[in-house]
Amino acid sequence: MNTTAIRKQMSIHPDVMDLLNNQIGMEMKASASYLAMASWCDQRELLNSKAFFYKQAEEEREHAMKIFTFINDNGGAAISPNVTNVNNDFESLRGIYETGLEQEIAVTESIFKIFKSARKEGDLITEVFLQWFISEQSEEEDTFRSIIDVFDLMEGMPLKMIDERLPKE
Amino acid sequence: MNLETNIQNSYQIRQSTFCKYVLVTPNKEIQLTFPQMLELRRKINGLTTINTLNKIINNENFVLLFVADKQHLIFLEIPQLLKLKEEIALFFLDFKPVLV
Repeated sequence: MNTTAIRKQMSIHPDVMDLLNNQIGMEMKASASYLAMASWCDQRELLNSKAFFYKQAEEEREHAMKIFTFINDNGGAAISPNVTNVNNDFESLRGIYETGLEQEIAVTESIFKIFKSARKEGDLITEVFLQWFISEQSEEEDTFRSIIDVFDLMEGMPLKMIDERLPKE
Repeated sequence: MNLETNIQNSYQIRQSTFCKYVLVTPNKEIQLTFPQMLELRRKINGLTTINTLNKIINNENFVLLFVADKQHLIFLEIPQLLKLKEEIALFFLDFKPVLV
């Protein structure tokens, strides 16, 4: 088998493609999870938080779509993921933001893993593609940490008052 | 020994043209495009995880697999399934950039 033939068909490494497909699932799960959080906030009239999480849900889907089209554009096969076991049950607004931060950290770690794999396999196209995601994740984590700081600063204040001081996006 | 030789020779992947491949099975030769190869790889990888293999062994002990956009159906017992996985892994191995 002439192995360079595979390279002529697709420009990303097959193993890296598998990891990218897992990442699509992770981003879509994050999107669904943020949607559940938005719904929880919406039902309790937490206006800024609901706007924030609706926006987050959209952004995560955009990330997934970015990876999805990247795989197909480079000759691979993007797989539409199964999204199951989305938690809709939360105990507090602060708890929601903490879960959001944990979720973002997990996504960042997963992107690091793909980045390292792309570097190991010499898949420069994916490596460059993922650089945007790494910067984006750093911003996302910072946003969540700043919001959790607001909760620390305003401890004991009414929930509605805290929500009014949180960013909408 | 004979069974082993049969399995070794039974499933092979050949390149026929630039973007056409042939999966040689004991009964027929199946023409595959590259996207169909990728789909076959995904299905075989999904069927050969430890959990799925365990499930197959504890139930029917074989799998029926659609290939080439559902144009062909192939019957695979565990040794054949593993051989096909090996053949596909070999096909996608050594992803080397084309020297210009």
